Amino acid sequence: MSLAIETEKLVKIYGNGKSMVKALNSIDMKVPKASVFGLFGPNGSGKTTLISILVGLLLPTSGSARVLGFDATKHSVEIRRRVGLLPEGFGFYDHMTALENLTFLATLDGIPSDQRKKRALRALETVGLKDRADAKVSTFSRGMRQRLGIAQALLKDPELLIFDEPTVGIDPEGAAEFRNLVRRMNREGKTVMLSTHLLYEVGMICTHAAIIREGRLLVQGSVDELYQSVRKEKGFRYEIRVKPGSEIPLQEIRSMPSVVEITQSDNRVTILSKNDMGSSLFSLITKSPYKDLVESLTPVEPSWEEIYRFYQEGG
Amino acid sequence: MMKNAFSIARKEFTDTITSKRLWLIAGIFLLFSIASTYSTSFSFMIGGQQAVRPMAQIASTIASTMAYMAPLLGIALAFDAISGERERGTLRILLSRPIYREDVVNGKIISALAVIGLTIAVSSLASVSVSILLHKVAVTLDDVARICIFIVFSIVLSFAYYAFSLFISTFSNKSSHSLIISIGIWIFFAFILSIISSFVTIAVLGPPPTRAIAVFNRTRRGFGNFTSPGVPASELEEYLSYMRKAAEISSIIQAFSINYHYTQITDSLFGFAAGPLGFGQRERTIASIPTVLSTRLIDIIVLIVFPIVFLVASYMVFTKRQEK
Repeated sequence: MSLAIETEKLVKIYGNGKSMVKALNSIDMKVPKASVFGLFGPNGSGKTTLISILVGLLLPTSGSARVLGFDATKHSVEIRRRVGLLPEGFGFYDHMTALENLTFLATLDGIPSDQRKKRALRALETVGLKDRADAKVSTFSRGMRQRLGIAQALLKDPELLIFDEPTVGIDPEGAAEFRNLVRRMNREGKTVMLSTHLLYEVGMICTHAAIIREGRLLVQGSVDELYQSVRKEKGFRYEIRVKPGSEIPLQEIRSMPSVVEITQSDNRVTILSKNDMGSSLFSLITKSPYKDLVESLTPVEPSWEEIYRFYQEGG
Repeated sequence: MMKNAFSIARKEFTDTITSKRLWLIAGIFLLFSIASTYSTSFSFMIGGQQAVRPMAQIASTIASTMAYMAPLLGIALAFDAISGERERGTLRILLSRPIYREDVVNGKIISALAVIGLTIAVSSLASVSVSILLHKVAVTLDDVARICIFIVFSIVLSFAYYAFSLFISTFSNKSSHSLIISIGIWIFFAFILSIISSFVTIAVLGPPPTRAIAVFNRTRRGFGNFTSPGVPASELEEYLSYMRKAAEISSIIQAFSINYHYTQITDSLFGFAAGPLGFGQRERTIASIPTVLSTRLIDIIVLIVFPIVFLVASYMVFTKRQEK
């Protein structure tokens, strides 16, 4: 597996003596190339510190980090040349227009002068701000500033995008647009890493995820792997939907060896099983005389709240 | 590397040159300079005296205004140079680009040098020109050379305060803190240190002898004339001895002030020898430019070394400081 980001035993300690805070505690993280990697954790868990180390804004106390093959402490400029970063708590020059801000940043990104304006306008168009290109940033709402922040990260057409809390302050419509943008970037082969404290965001767009808490990486892997490991521990859940007003006999299902619990409400039957019994349940239903009463049989994925709680409690 | 610094400098220069803050300071300086040259020529008219070198007299008056305005200009440009970027969150956006931290500081410094140079040169020349027209004063080539040297040292003074304020700004999270510290230091150097020096002088030497004060009152009317007829030589000697000792103590204490070194240079340049405890006298002859530069070499060195020290400190703090 080719990696975009790899950290090894990464430690970051702020302060010393009694005021010492261990912000990162031996983080081993692997972000595969062309993935959408969600770094989930509550506020103060160390997400921003980790991102800051990755782009060379902070130095680790110990351990190492490699981004796109470059050492984060030795070659941070090379990393920032290839990474589009949306930092947390960023700001723009309010007295300048959106286009002026982006053109200035494009200069620092090393984009040739004849392409700066074109790139800036394209980035503004991508985030839906092209019609506000000549408006001063001081007139922008918080959501518009956030979108402008995303635009500046796109300027240099980077291989890797790192977004720190990208949807903070954005309205639901804007957040949905952002998710579409991330999916599109990912389809183009770009790696996207986003930190968030919103669980649903991880479930909606990420192919891979990691959970960080109090500076420790609790778990990481593909979203399927995370689902799978929770299922293995907490059981597999399936939902059968029956036609309204109908009922199906449950004795046969209850007698299946791995079934732990069955609950029924309205036209919905939820089955909790110790093992993966999707195919045997499907076979049972399709062969049964009440098969016509069944509208659907679907596995129920654990929610991200469950996943988080599971790993928080020790996995 | 310098390409990025120049890109930042270009933006900074445009921002500063169009800022109300800069125009306000330049306007105040111009107003005070012209007003003070007027009051100087008015006092001469009342006293019925002729200045030895009218142009030097005017430039000297402008220099005393500059001693207050140049530091304020430096502080105004630097107090939020880094801390302001930090407060607004623009530092995070800047540092997320493929640039070195030195580029940010270099860009700020290049822009500040250009703005300080331009503001001081233009406002000094404007003040001098307006004063020349108003007072109808003849200007010699030597006067022009002295004014040019004065402009250079005024730029250095302003830049010294810029460097100090930039240093404070690099480790400060709030521009208001940086401004308070910078202004506090300026007030200390410009006003408090001279008060302290007076206190120390009186503490060390005791109060001036009563008769010496009477002698002073009799002699002060004449510029540079301490041999007024009717004053006994012993009394005059007692007074001068006290004043010489007081001047020595005062200069030792004020040596810590960058403003003091600047004033020493400009006073020598325009023939104004400051007397002890603030009482001044105008010299009849003005030393040649090479003489001024050689006799004031220590002051010049201090004036140049001061900003260098704080620039190096700013680089060290900013490049080492970790921005999350």
